[in-house]
Amino acid sequence: MKKIYLCSDTITGLFSAIYDAWETGRREEECGIAFRESMEQELFCEYYETQETEKKARAVESMIKRHLGRRVYWDIYHAALSGDRRKGDAILGTMLAARQIPDSTRIMEHLSHPQVERVFELSRNVGGEAHSYKGFLRFKELENGVLYSEITPKNQVLTCLAPHFADRLPLENWMIYDKTHRMFVVHEAGKKWVLIWDEGIDRSFASRESEQELLYARLWKSFCRTIAIESRTNPKCQLSHLPLRYRGDMLEHM
Amino acid sequence: MFAYIMEVYRTNVCICYIAQMQTLVFEVYKMNMRIQESMSMYEKLNILTDAAKYDVACTSSGTARKGDGTGMGNCERSGICHSFSADGRCISLLKILFTNECIYDCKYCINRRSNDVVRTSFTPDEICALTMEFYRRNYIEGLFLSSGILKSPDYTMELIYAALYKLRTECRFQGYIHVKAIPGADQELVRRTGFLADRMSVNLELPTAEGLKLLAPNKTRKNILTPMRLVQNRMAENKQEVALYRNAPRFVPAGQSTQMIIGATPETDYQIIQVAESLYQKFELKRVFYSAFIHVNEDKALPARTDEGPPLLREHRLYQADWLLRYYHFQASELLSEENPNFNVVFDPKCNWALKNLGQFPVEINRADYKMLLRVPGLGYKSAVRIVKARRLGVLDFPDLKKMGVVLKRAMYFITCSGKMLYPTRLEEDYITRNLLDAGERLPEEVRNMGYRQLSLFDDVRFTEDGLSWKARAGGAV
Repeated sequence: MKKIYLCSDTITGLFSAIYDAWETGRREEECGIAFRESMEQELFCEYYETQETEKKARAVESMIKRHLGRRVYWDIYHAALSGDRRKGDAILGTMLAARQIPDSTRIMEHLSHPQVERVFELSRNVGGEAHSYKGFLRFKELENGVLYSEITPKNQVLTCLAPHFADRLPLENWMIYDKTHRMFVVHEAGKKWVLIWDEGIDRSFASRESEQELLYARLWKSFCRTIAIESRTNPKCQLSHLPLRYRGDMLEHM
Repeated sequence: MFAYIMEVYRTNVCICYIAQMQTLVFEVYKMNMRIQESMSMYEKLNILTDAAKYDVACTSSGTARKGDGTGMGNCERSGICHSFSADGRCISLLKILFTNECIYDCKYCINRRSNDVVRTSFTPDEICALTMEFYRRNYIEGLFLSSGILKSPDYTMELIYAALYKLRTECRFQGYIHVKAIPGADQELVRRTGFLADRMSVNLELPTAEGLKLLAPNKTRKNILTPMRLVQNRMAENKQEVALYRNAPRFVPAGQSTQMIIGATPETDYQIIQVAESLYQKFELKRVFYSAFIHVNEDKALPARTDEGPPLLREHRLYQADWLLRYYHFQASELLSEENPNFNVVFDPKCNWALKNLGQFPVEINRADYKMLLRVPGLGYKSAVRIVKARRLGVLDFPDLKKMGVVLKRAMYFITCSGKMLYPTRLEEDYITRNLLDAGERLPEEVRNMGYRQLSLFDDVRFTEDGLSWKARAGGAV
């Protein structure tokens, strides 16, 4: 009977489930992974609760890095951040498939394998969204000089964004709030960034903007308006590059 | 950042230079006081953005640089788009002019001497403040600084240098900077500015020297090519310096680019892509940008104004051909010829080439070499790389290709997988053309809207100058 491991939708949870599943099966038909929040029960399966520990997750992480290489880990990590419900099976399937081929580090080139292709697709999707947010995210300056931003991504992209902004704004206090997954990433000037799960944090501070903020917001809005050439107006082209779902959090489109 | 300072302090001359620069900045200050009485930052930004919007190339790619932790900013190799304006163009950099005052009188330019427009200038301080505040709010990826010619090319270049110097040293800005080299400015100034910028560009303005003489009487081809050559040579030297000393200051690390106006003068597409090709080969440019001519002035030397708007389709075809030259190993002479000097309006240049060279098709996906794969319509360079890698691990079939991002509805006429085509198709030009058009090949707006209409001699798709030949060719190809 197929054994399905239940876990929470976090990197630690997912990697712990892979750790458990790795012990039981050699083939895709023998084991699977499902998330507690989004599980749909199947027939002829046994369900197991995963004990989620940091230790198991680290073991899986180092195993992937050692046997499949850093590049593949990068793809798998991105796929694990995806909002897709079946990402667990795709990642497990890819890792099992990597056992079958002579050079496991080249597993991501094996695109005719359905699960590998799926991981590739998810990784590309998450990477794409993270890249978009590197540009489309807008900070506003609060009264106390902190830069604050809110985003509504489909995938959990905060851990992809944080290193980028930490390198870019090392001497600033900034924080980004992910409204979909209710997570914060907080960076204090000159220190490392931290990830915080929102458990009822009062967000009323976000509406207290600094005096300068209005001035620059106005300048930016007028800049965006002026830079367009009227005789070339092309809303369709704009829409294909900048989908509507991003615009809700963007200053110039509010 | 330290490297920049090293560069500046290298000779004694430079120290005098800085002193000079400070008085200059002060002078600008005084000048600015006068202007500021009547004009706020908001108005200035509006005027100088409006004047800069016709510049193309808002790209921020080509440099990868980590922040050093002492200031603000970094660069990503792929570049980052921060927004898209109503015309669908990306907003990546704060694209502004230093000043819209100009001593030249180029016929096509909104800022020409003889136009009566509101004139204003930024000060280096204002540019720094705007860039830094926009950048920390993540509005922009960096600065794109161009300028009209104030007093003389040297004077203008000095002002630009002063602004960049302040931004890089005092504000410790490490983001992207794209700056225009002013033709006719002192070589030393261009060289110094190059050490502060990521990308430099000199506008070619018009594809040929005759066009330049006609529409930009104050500019000469020689004057434009001199700084271009200077930047190229300095970049080559800098490559060696960097190889020798890892921390040597970088000179224009993202390379140089140029832009030219399309449709203001009667050049053919063939002439234009030949110019582009020689620029890539002889001047090692990173990019050539094409800008569809937009009527902003009335002048007898310019083409007559029509209500059809700028030649956007032509610009689009030129960009497609440009990509073929840079990434797909095509040559200008393969795409067009003397007898056939303009692009097909209906098909993109690659598809057009394939239809004219059916002898080289069909291509076997599992065996063909990479360069041949690149020439198949519907196959991009990314999917070509994926195919080459994936076929080592197994035989590829059509469904696999689809997953890799191959556009099968276009590619299927030109490829086989293990000797089989997707559907039994004929390898004939007329047959493929008809089917591609039937299959909902996304036709350009101009062609789609042609439909049923009263025929007239001037019934053309946007192109006025050589309209008849375009029309005739479009008809011929279909």
